[in-house]
Amino acid sequence: MFVSLPDFEYLRPKSLDEALELLDDHAERARVLAGGTDLMVDMRSRVLSPEYVIDVKGISQLHELRYERGAGFTIGAAVPLNEVMGMLMIKERYRALYDALEDMGDEILRNRATLVGNICNASPAADTAAPLLVLDAQVEVSSVNGKRVLEIKDFFKGVKGTTLEPNEVVTAIHVPEPPDGSRSRYLKAKRTSEDLAIVGVAALVANEDDPKNRIVRLAYSSVAPTPVRAFEVEEALRSDRPIPDLVDRAVSIALTKVSPISDVRAGREYRIHLVELLTRLVLKELLGGA
Amino acid sequence: MGHEISLVVNGVHRRLHVRQNETLLEVLRDRLQLKSVKASCWRGECGLCTVLLGGEPVKSCMVLALEADGGSVVTVEGLARDGKLTPLQRSFIDHGAVQCGFCTPAFLLVAQALLERNPGPTKKEVLSAVNGLICRCTGYHQIVEAILEASRLKE
Repeated sequence: MFVSLPDFEYLRPKSLDEALELLDDHAERARVLAGGTDLMVDMRSRVLSPEYVIDVKGISQLHELRYERGAGFTIGAAVPLNEVMGMLMIKERYRALYDALEDMGDEILRNRATLVGNICNASPAADTAAPLLVLDAQVEVSSVNGKRVLEIKDFFKGVKGTTLEPNEVVTAIHVPEPPDGSRSRYLKAKRTSEDLAIVGVAALVANEDDPKNRIVRLAYSSVAPTPVRAFEVEEALRSDRPIPDLVDRAVSIALTKVSPISDVRAGREYRIHLVELLTRLVLKELLGGA
Repeated sequence: MGHEISLVVNGVHRRLHVRQNETLLEVLRDRLQLKSVKASCWRGECGLCTVLLGGEPVKSCMVLALEADGGSVVTVEGLARDGKLTPLQRSFIDHGAVQCGFCTPAFLLVAQALLERNPGPTKKEVLSAVNGLICRCTGYHQIVEAILEASRLKE
């Protein structure tokens, strides 16, 4: 095991423009540092040995954390998770995201770890990804060529991969106001001694008693190369059939979306069982009647 | 290649030359000889290198010295005043919350920060605050009792 970090040049830009220039110059040879809770581990184990580490915490606009009713949350790339959890509205209106944050790393790590870092690390097990998928989050991306906004569903690509270009950086995540009257949860199966998800399920439900306008969204972590949303569920559950039938239908759709592997934490068959179990549990809580 | 940083450590201003890849943990232990800051897992799991940076607990193996530039650090050496233990330290002694002592500095610092932010924490809040710390002797019960008792004494 390595103790020392590999050699790199530490850069701390004071403005976003300066950071984008550095990133454009160094591209694949650089890694962006926010909280560092993933980067330090990957550098120490030599999974990553960047020549340049670009610390973005000196950029004041990336510390933005703002909620506006109707518009939702903007969460900057340098905002630690504990600050996000400290916003009352996160627990009240974005409960699936709160559930995920509450069980990420630990309270000490959450003083450093960031939401943007969690999705940029792009682990298939990223806890915030499934909640952000059911909340229709958008990812704000910048480079020297300008800004663009990606839907979170288009952000992940393969295991630990994203659709970002090497000269791009995520500046913020925007989480829109959830549908009126909606409730959401994130359920996660894990070993008790660690926080890494074996299977995670996020669900958002609104208008559950009105078949025509019913909204049911489901997304999963740790069961495919990337976090996945089961988009077909939403249309399929706008039906006046009995709720238990609809839950069965949601489970069968979910199972077509997942392709879990066996690893040290759980076997493939067990993960498939958990997908069914957690889907039923979360829909029972949010839809009732099941 | 040396980079100069300025840190306030336990109330004392320090100017130090550090390497770019040097962590706050290495600076505190090896340069400033603050051996209460334990070097153990080097991956943010065990939490025993925790110090207060700007009053908040951070795992110092996961923080570059250069990231802490301009900041204020407190280690357990900075808790007692004029040789007098804090009520929290006293409570750890009274509850037998120190076994081998390896985790004690980290628990004291995290508990100190918790009680400053939240003088009357529930047991659940205490458990959440210390969730990132591992006691190899597994004497968690006494530690949690010591923290809760110290909060009752403060009120």
